[in-house]
Amino acid sequence: MRTEGFSKWLATVRGRFRLSRSKHDEIAAPRARSSRPALSQLILLTAGLVVLTLISAISVYLVNKARDDTRWVLHSTAVENEISLAQLQIQRAESSQRSFLLTQRPEFRAAFEEASGRIPQSFERLRTLTRENPYQQQRLQQMVPLTNQRIEQLRQSIDLALTNRLDQAVESARREAGQDATRQIRDLGNEMRIEANRLLAARTASADVSQSRSALITSVGSGLVVLFAGLSIYLVRRSSRERDLAHARLRDINLNLESAIEKRTSDLREANDEIQRFAYIVSHDLRSPLVNIMGFTSELEELRGDIFRRIAELSRANSLPPPGVSDPANAAEPVLDGADEQLSQDFNEALGFIKSSIAKMDRLIGAILSLTREGRREFHPVSIAMRDLIESIVSTVAHQAAEADAQIRVEPLPDIVTDRIAIEQIFSNLIDNALKYLKSDVPGDIAISGRRKLGFAIFEITDNGRGIDPKDHQRIFDLFRRAGPQDRPGQGIGLAHVRALVRKLGGTISVSSELGTGTTFTVTLPSTWVGTNRDEQS
Amino acid sequence: MSTPVTIIMIEDDDGHARLIERNIRRSGVNNEIKSFTTGTEAVNYLFGADGNGLPHKGESLLILLDLNLPDMTGIEILRRVKENRYLKCAPVVVLTTTDDSQEIKRCYELGCSVYITKPVNYDNFANAIRQLGLFFSIIQVPQATP
Repeated sequence: MRTEGFSKWLATVRGRFRLSRSKHDEIAAPRARSSRPALSQLILLTAGLVVLTLISAISVYLVNKARDDTRWVLHSTAVENEISLAQLQIQRAESSQRSFLLTQRPEFRAAFEEASGRIPQSFERLRTLTRENPYQQQRLQQMVPLTNQRIEQLRQSIDLALTNRLDQAVESARREAGQDATRQIRDLGNEMRIEANRLLAARTASADVSQSRSALITSVGSGLVVLFAGLSIYLVRRSSRERDLAHARLRDINLNLESAIEKRTSDLREANDEIQRFAYIVSHDLRSPLVNIMGFTSELEELRGDIFRRIAELSRANSLPPPGVSDPANAAEPVLDGADEQLSQDFNEALGFIKSSIAKMDRLIGAILSLTREGRREFHPVSIAMRDLIESIVSTVAHQAAEADAQIRVEPLPDIVTDRIAIEQIFSNLIDNALKYLKSDVPGDIAISGRRKLGFAIFEITDNGRGIDPKDHQRIFDLFRRAGPQDRPGQGIGLAHVRALVRKLGGTISVSSELGTGTTFTVTLPSTWVGTNRDEQS
Repeated sequence: MSTPVTIIMIEDDDGHARLIERNIRRSGVNNEIKSFTTGTEAVNYLFGADGNGLPHKGESLLILLDLNLPDMTGIEILRRVKENRYLKCAPVVVLTTTDDSQEIKRCYELGCSVYITKPVNYDNFANAIRQLGLFFSIIQVPQATP
């Protein structure tokens, strides 16, 4: 009844814990929501990167274009210059010719030669410069022969003047001056200059456009980047605010959880204490009637002796009294005939069963009492040299070991800090068990080994005894339960006691065994037990 | 000893009382045994109507006390006996099922003469009581302070 209530209570506790776990799910939810800002953050950053790259590319392109434009502007200027230069040279050639005709001074002839000599160079440069402009080329095509022709005429008139035919020369100069050639050359040059000017204007405009476009792109791009940065900062701040909020909530929930755990731990401890008290009182109060049962059974036994003695006397009184019956030595064992003998035996048998049952019940109650007393005992952690402790236990069972033809090997063991009496009880029970359940046909071999792992000390008690059926591995730790053939004395208390002690010391115990090959009990204990039991730790 | 010793047995379990009485008798003790099954009855008898213990002035009493009584604890009775000027010299034998060391210590602190745990095994029980009877037959019990 009591345990039923306890398990119900446990179920409610578990239910409550499950409830509180759903609170944890609530915490997980905002984390899932926060993945959305993270995504938009990523998109934003990517967009920012793309915009930056685009701006850079466009800027590079526009800068290049502006440089091209500038080059073209310079080019146009150069073309214009060259045209002017060519026209200038033609003018110089004409004026030098005229001056020579007027004065016949040789320096004017030299100036004419120099000017006319430069013209082809100038044209050559123009041809190269305007190579891609068919309009200019065409003009140039027309201009070059005209100019050459004109220069040739001028040179002829100079030659005439040199050969003292000045009149002829002046005459031809006058005639030629009215010709179209000069005007045509000038017109062509002007046309070319106008074209060059137009190109210059167009190219200047285009350069301006490229530059302003570049400026625009740069400013728009910068604006976009700043905008993205702002957005991103906003998002980061929002998500960090959300995270702070979640943190605060988590902290609150943790605090709640802690207090809930504390409360439940104290509930558990209370329940545990209650069970201990309950077990103590029950076993204690069971003992009282047991004393009576036992006492009056013994009284009955004495009565039985008296009754059967009376029967024997009576039956003897009826028959012929054999000599020497009043011998007091015989009085204790009255001689009975068939039916009465049978009655006496039945009586004895009944009494025997009652007494053995009472004895058994008494042992069980005693076991519960000692378990509860163990549960109530305060544990005091002390530093224990495990090997010495095990050796001393082994020396107390040396006699049994010799009888069982068994050797006990104690390997180096890690020292621990824990309750000495509890450890003594744990290991002497386990070693006792190992000795008790050895196989009779094989010399026993029991080994106690140990190692340290992650703040725990792990001890193993291995024997080559009869082993335990795997289906009994859990059962053997239950109170009053035993496994295998029941041919050894015992109540099924030892391992229950051991498990209770190990748990109280914050450790665990497990068994691995196979029928016929042996058993290993593994005891895991905290290296340093600080004086709280597992309930309190959890 | 001018006045014969009266044994006061305070024991809630009739069976126990009977067993104890029988075994005391078997050990040859023939003193009067007054048996009480509740604490209240025992207290009323011991301390009288006005509760000062005057009725037993000059008598020799030996008290056999069980600790687990239905209406009060034996320890309470022990305390009152040891505080009473007429009864405090009476030897008190605590005979109980409890073997809790705290309880034992407490009883001796309060002045009980002997603390005995009832053995469940009847032979031991009978033996213990008989020896207690032998003990009774040799100890000197003072008269209650006049």
